[in-house]
Amino acid sequence: MKVYDSAARQIPVVSQVKSIYENRGLLRLLVVRDLTVRYKRSVIGVWWSLLNPLFTTAVLYYVFNTVFKSRLPGQAPFLPYLLSGVLLITLFNQSLTLGADAIASGAGVLTKVYIRPEIFAASASISSGINFLIGLVPLTIVLAIYRKTPTWHFPIVLLVIGCMVLFTTGLSLLLAIAYINFDDSRSLINIFLMALQYMTPIFYPITLLGPHTRDVIQLNPLYSFLQIFRREFGNVGISTLQNWEIMFGCSIIAFVGGFYIFSKRWPKVVAKL
Amino acid sequence: MSTEKIVEATDISLAYRRTRHRVSSLKQTAIDTIKGRMAYEEFFALRNVSFEIARGETVSIIGRNGAGKSTLLKVIARVLPPTNGRVIVRGDVAPMIELGAGFNPELTGAENIILYGTLLGRTPKQMQSRIEAIADWAGLTEHLDIPIRAYSSGMTARLAFATATDVTPDLLLIDEILSVGDEDFREKSAARTLAMMNSGCAVLLVSHDLEAVRTMSSRAIYLENGNQKISGNPNDVIEAYLADVHH
Repeated sequence: MKVYDSAARQIPVVSQVKSIYENRGLLRLLVVRDLTVRYKRSVIGVWWSLLNPLFTTAVLYYVFNTVFKSRLPGQAPFLPYLLSGVLLITLFNQSLTLGADAIASGAGVLTKVYIRPEIFAASASISSGINFLIGLVPLTIVLAIYRKTPTWHFPIVLLVIGCMVLFTTGLSLLLAIAYINFDDSRSLINIFLMALQYMTPIFYPITLLGPHTRDVIQLNPLYSFLQIFRREFGNVGISTLQNWEIMFGCSIIAFVGGFYIFSKRWPKVVAKL
Repeated sequence: MSTEKIVEATDISLAYRRTRHRVSSLKQTAIDTIKGRMAYEEFFALRNVSFEIARGETVSIIGRNGAGKSTLLKVIARVLPPTNGRVIVRGDVAPMIELGAGFNPELTGAENIILYGTLLGRTPKQMQSRIEAIADWAGLTEHLDIPIRAYSSGMTARLAFATATDVTPDLLLIDEILSVGDEDFREKSAARTLAMMNSGCAVLLVSHDLEAVRTMSSRAIYLENGNQKISGNPNDVIEAYLADVHH
């Protein structure tokens, strides 16, 4: 028989992760729900979800390749470079905002039933990760246009997705708290996300920047995610050991930190919902 | 086993810090902080509330709006941890929540039954085996495969009610007794709620319907500004409450 004792000691992070594991049935269901809603119900199905990144890529390609005539060093093809950047930033934005929205708008359920809200954040990140995997199909096609194929070690991309799930699950918990506490936080967050996007070399090579700017950009965790993804999937560009350290380090810090802060703040926030 | 305690709430208090002007925007917070006007106050939504509910008992909470009734339900539902005091709840808890919260309009009736039931603490497997029985009781068997965005509000409410009340928990939390749908279904749902309440589970009922409280509860608690003003025999408690209201 289940017993709830409010005096029982809960170890932050550990108890939260345990609770997600115990509710993996619900987690799976939420992921399936996200994907079903996204794919099954629209006429063109899976392709609908790719329309956004593909269209964004088309616009950026036109602007930077045709209008500004920008070139990557060594005449490397621009389109695979650009599409991989757009796909990765879409993964980040989608996981982050879907997760935070699910919690901030889940008041009807979360204030009445005991469900760890972390499950909603995790499911948003996981379903966005699966969405991202589907985006690798058009990327493969684009690589083929330039007579390239995915590398033999492309499954390492799964590791990048795994890190992104940890990274965005942790961050979206913090974002959810901001959303609930401050009504006007959304617009500020959007500006911040836009700045972060420009600080990620999606459509420009990092060599374009001066040494000081480059140092700053290299500290942006998304830069490391992106370098590793480009390198491991399509053999585009290079990735360094530092990129791996930043990717793993930031993922773990965001996950543990996000969960810890959330466990302390959530009881105060839920009283407001 | 009729004396088995399902809920033991001992001296529970719930306090939270809130800003005096209830600001909820970053802009206002920044301005207030700069001007040094950011005053916080400790707010007690509940103060030293104690009660027990044994299996088979119904305990009702009455009181004015804002007295802390819903907060108390949240504390017992494990949504809010008490600031002080201790809550022990043994067994499965089922809330009768706002109907349809947790439904997704794009999913079909069957998919929503599974999702909603799982959100309420059951397993997807259990729910899978109950789909037909639930739909049958709600009279929606023929609409199971269409997205509920095409349902009328009455149909949605019926599906939610049927799913929520499909199992009898050890503790039932009710925030106002629901009656949903048309006249027929209203009677049917009221009868089912009563049957659940009488089935031997423990019930915590929050209601403004004093007649329902009088007839259904074993004990009542009158909350005023988070304090347990009086508790005990429902008739006495209701009398005390009415005396205050009419004063």
